Formats: sequence, C-alpha cells, structure tokens
Amino acid sequence: MVPNSNREEKLFNDILWLNAKILGLVLGIIFGLVIFVATNWLVIKGGHRVGPHLSLLSQYFIGYRVSFFGSFIGFAYGFALGTLSGTLLGWIYNKIAALRNGKNNAKQ
Amino acid sequence: MDKNGVVIIGAGPAGLTAAYELVLEGLRPTLLEKSQKPGGIARTEVYKGYGFDMGGHRFFTKIEKINQLWREMLGQDFVKVGRISRIYYRGRFFKYPLSLSNALVNLGIIESTIIFASYLHSRIRPFAREENFEQWVSNRFGHRLFNVFFKTYTEKVWGIPCREIRSDWAAQRIKGLSLMVAVVNALIHNQKAKTLIEEFFYPVKGPGMMWDRFVKAIDNKGGEILFQSEITAIRHENNHLKSITYLGHGEEIERPLDHLISSMPLPRLISILEPAPPKEVMEAAQKLSFRSFILVGLIIDKPALFPDQWIYIHNPDVKVGRIQNFKNWSAAMVPEEGKTSVGMEYFCTENDHLWTLPDAALTTLAAQELSELGLASESHVVDAVVFRQPKAYPVYDHDYDLNLGIIKQYLASFDNLQSIGRNGMHRYNNMDHSMETGRLAARNILGEHHSLWEINEEDSYLEQEDGASVSSVLVGKIMKGAFARMDKIAFATATGSVLGILMFVATLWLVIKGGNAVGPNLRLLGEYFKGYTVTVRGAFLAFGYSFLWGFLFGWLFAYIRNLILAYSIYHLKKKAEAITLRDFFDQF
Repeated sequence: MVPNSNREEKLFNDILWLNAKILGLVLGIIFGLVIFVATNWLVIKGGHRVGPHLSLLSQYFIGYRVSFFGSFIGFAYGFALGTLSGTLLGWIYNKIAALRNGKNNAKQ
Repeated sequence: MDKNGVVIIGAGPAGLTAAYELVLEGLRPTLLEKSQKPGGIARTEVYKGYGFDMGGHRFFTKIEKINQLWREMLGQDFVKVGRISRIYYRGRFFKYPLSLSNALVNLGIIESTIIFASYLHSRIRPFAREENFEQWVSNRFGHRLFNVFFKTYTEKVWGIPCREIRSDWAAQRIKGLSLMVAVVNALIHNQKAKTLIEEFFYPVKGPGMMWDRFVKAIDNKGGEILFQSEITAIRHENNHLKSITYLGHGEEIERPLDHLISSMPLPRLISILEPAPPKEVMEAAQKLSFRSFILVGLIIDKPALFPDQWIYIHNPDVKVGRIQNFKNWSAAMVPEEGKTSVGMEYFCTENDHLWTLPDAALTTLAAQELSELGLASESHVVDAVVFRQPKAYPVYDHDYDLNLGIIKQYLASFDNLQSIGRNGMHRYNNMDHSMETGRLAARNILGEHHSLWEINEEDSYLEQEDGASVSSVLVGKIMKGAFARMDKIAFATATGSVLGILMFVATLWLVIKGGNAVGPNLRLLGEYFKGYTVTVRGAFLAFGYSFLWGFLFGWLFAYIRNLILAYSIYHLKKKAEAITLRDFFDQF
C-alpha cells in the first residue's frame, strides 16, 4: 500500500497527458464560435462596407462571406480548423512527452 | 467447516463485530473474554448508577457498514451532541478545535509575537529531516507553538519525549494532512468533515449500551460468549492452530478450533503459543510497548461544572491529562440531577508510580488537581471510584514497526489465525476501524479475501465496498489530470509545430491560387518575420518563424501553468495542515 505522502509525490511527478480528441473538439468549438460571433457582430454593426478585413478569410474559407449565412459557413470552417489543430497539438505533445519521459510514463 | 469451529478472543468492539458478522451467516462462534463485561478499552463502567466511559468515545465513522451496524444495534438510542471541548493552559481556556484569534488573545501580544517569529523561522529554516514528532510539528507550526500546545499533552499521553515519537505516527493519525482530502473538501465542500468536528452521536447510556446490545444479539443468534475466561495456551502444528486452552471459573478447558480471531495484545498472543515462536519473534513481541490509563471518577455535588464534554489539560504542573464531564455527553450518564460526574484521566505505564498508587491516593490527587485547576472545589467531591485500563494505547516508539513487522510475518504463517483490533494489531485504530477489522476478519472466514492490515492505512480501501468507491476513483483520476505536470518542451514543440504548419499552408495556399498580386495582406507579416514573402520560399520561412514563436509561447504557457499549479498545491497543503492543527488532539 502506498502511503499518502508517496502517493501525492507520485501524483505531482506525473506527466500531464492531453486527450487529443477532446482538445481538438474544444479548440474546434472555440475557433468556430469566434468566427461565428465576429462575423455576426460586424453584420449587426452594419455600415457602408461590412467587414472588409474579415472577408479576407474567404481566401482560405471558400464560400465564406461577412453575412448571417456566412457566419455559419465560418463556424464550420473554424470548427474544422480548430479540431484539426487541437488534435494535432495533442497528438504531437503526447508523442514528444512519451519520448522524453520513457515508456513507463506513456499514456495509459 | 464446523459451525462451532470459530473462536474469537476478546469481547471488545472488534471481537464483538466479528462474532456478530458470523452469527448473521449462521455460524456459532465462541467468544472468550477475560473480564466480566464487554467493550474492552471502549467499555462503560457503572458505579452507583453513574456511567464512566473509558476515554470518551464519539460515534462517527466514514465506514458506512459500521455506521449501519451502530444504527442496527442502537436504533434511536443515540443522542446528538454539539461538541464543546477546550484546552486548559496557564489558567486560561483555549477554544478547541483551535482558533487562531482566540489563541492569540489568550496568549497575549508578547507570546503571540514569539510564536509568529518562531513560525517564520520554521518556514525559513525547517528541520531538514522529519524523523520525530517534535520535528514534524515544529516544521509545520513553529517550535514555540509546539512547546505551548503540543509538547506537554503529547508527553503526558505517551510518557516519552516527543523526540522519541516517530513522525509517521503523526502522519498516520492525521488524515487531514492528506492532500486528497483537502482537495476533495475544497472541490465539493465536504460537509461531513466539518460536521465531525462540531457534532457527534453518543449512546444515551454510554458506549457500554452498544456492547450490551451486541452481546444480546450474538447470544440470540446462537453465538456463545464466555466472560471471565482467560486464555492460557494456543496449540499449533504445521502452521495450523489446533486448540485453545482457557481458564473459566477456575477450571482449565481445552477446546479444538478451526479458525481463531484474536484481539488480545500481540505480546500476550505470542507468549501463549505452543510450541513457542522463534526467539526473534518472542523478542520482538516483548519490545512492543503500551501506555495505560487510569480514570478517577469523581462525583461532584453540583448540578453543573463547565459546558465542555472534555477538557485537555496542558498544564505541566498537574498530572491529569484530560477531564471528561459525562453529564455533557449524555444526561443519562448521571442518575442524580443535582450532581455531576467527571472522569480525571491519567496516562501512565503499567506498574509505574501512578499505576501502583492506591485508589485512595489517586482519588485525593484527582480531587486536589480538579480544585487546583479551579474547576470544582475539593469539598464538593462526594464520592469517587478508580478504574484502571492496562494497554490502552499501543506506543509507536522508534523500533515498533520493525518489531511489528517480524510479528506480522510470523503470524501470517498460520492459515487459520487473524489478529484484529487496536491491541491485536498494535495499531492506533479508532473504534470504527477496530470494528471494521473484526467484520472483515469474519468475512475472510466466510471465503472473502481482505487484508486487515490495510485498514486505517488507506481511506480508499475502506470505501471499496460502498458507493463512495466510484467517487473516490473518479476523484483520483481528476486529481491526476489536474495536478500532473505539463511537459514544457513537449507542449512548446507541439504548439510551434501546429502554428508553423498553419502558416506554411496559409502561405502556400495563396501561392497556388496565384493572381495579379499574391497575398497582399498576408505579406504584411514581413513586418515581423524578416525576409518573409508570399512565395514557396516564404512558406518555409513562415514555418520557421511561426514554429519559433509558437515554441516560445507554448513553453511560457506550460511554465506559468505549472507554476500556478505548484502554488495551488502548496496552498492546499497548508490548508490541510491548518485542519490538522484545528483538531490535532482528537487523534489521541
């Protein structure tokens, strides 16, 4: 049986493992929401020319426009990009952490 | 297995629980008890209708099975007691559990300043190694506070200098120190832990009421309890116990057995085994030591004395260690309304000066000290009684674990012997832990597999059988996720890589798309990334720059996260230690 103090010591010496899927999902939702809100904010603000800078995103997100409909397309692109980035981030982190901390510490 | 084949030694909480668990399963164990009443160290003595609880036993437990058992036995015969207990030191009462403001006001500005300076000193220059109790406490609360609040009482109880008490005794007794507990309390605000300090349950007529109900229940279900039966020998062959011999009403009786559950003190158990154990086991057993306890019950001709259930006496100039006021535990402990009964508790060693004092001398001493402390006048003492309890506290001296290890190893060689309870395991178990060892020992006989030595060592073990196990495992997993260290280099590399790839693809995408002016906006990055252009070469440059910045930010993020985490851990640990300070003496 491991005494409390040893157990705690072990706990703090453990390496944090990232759940790549969850990280991807979280980043996906955040990215998606940021674009969705940013687009709709400009739409609500209105003006002579709506969102000249944000519309540059269409260079990458084909079909995206600064409009209410475009905010949904932006959300989808943002979600996809965030998910991909987050998953990749988690995956690379876990691989490097496993390499640096030995197999015993590798993610269970 | 023969239904009558189980013998249990000792009708204390552990032995009674084991017997009850077995009779519930249709077995008919025989319980042998040396004295003439049940309860062992937790018994209630009765003198002229006044109840005297040997030590003051609060009923609370985290073990649900034991809680159920208590309810099953006593039903509504419990009283809920709002706890009041204080420390008496230098003529003043200190709130207990300890309150910093109250302590500082009572100690005065000079003493408080010295305590604070001493605390600071202990933070700056703590003992490098915590080998004994004095170092353990001083490192946490400062040496001055150790001298004021911890030294005198601890030494009264144990009879040895705090330097000779191992630090792991404190660590074992004080669960408040578990970071896990502190975190759980912080996260889910464990109301139960708070309640345990402030209120508790108590049988209307003292713990003896509980043990009497056990005796009745065991008897009703076919178990046999033989009081005034002293064990004289246990015979064994080929690592198997064969028979037990006891003296019952002047007659020596030997009976065969299938299983033995013993709660007798380990040195005694070892000494009556036949053939005798190896020399090193005998020697180890002889080296285990115990503290004993004398309770001088005083009946006072006054309806009330003080509001506390008990008072810790820290004054070094009196011998009494603790004073119980039984009327404040339960009014039914005192048969006459106009009177009060107090229990003056003296900690001693068997056959030392105090132990061998005649009852009359002890009574005089107790009455004098009660008067000296200003709690009641000697002239109000109308009657007195003395109770002696040998081997009340197993002592955790310097070599106890080594000796205990030798004994445990030897006893484990028997296939039908289990040792339970406080003295049977030489472990400072509370009543509920002792009962749990008895219950699990019985379950082992019924075919289950429990390691009794793990009880009271690991809270989670106690929770394995109930619903709490799920939350315990869950909390453990959450803790691991929350407190584990982030690998800075790994996170920095991952962040750098992802950012680098994104910028690489972003640049390359525009290059592939082409047009009159390629990436007029993205090329503005050149302001920061020297040499960057929206070209294939620029894509590689973007990767390099982005990786570098991503790496730096990632590393910084992980560093700050780990730093904040480390501070949180430190803070939680300090909080756990503060909890320890608050109810430290409850652990005795």
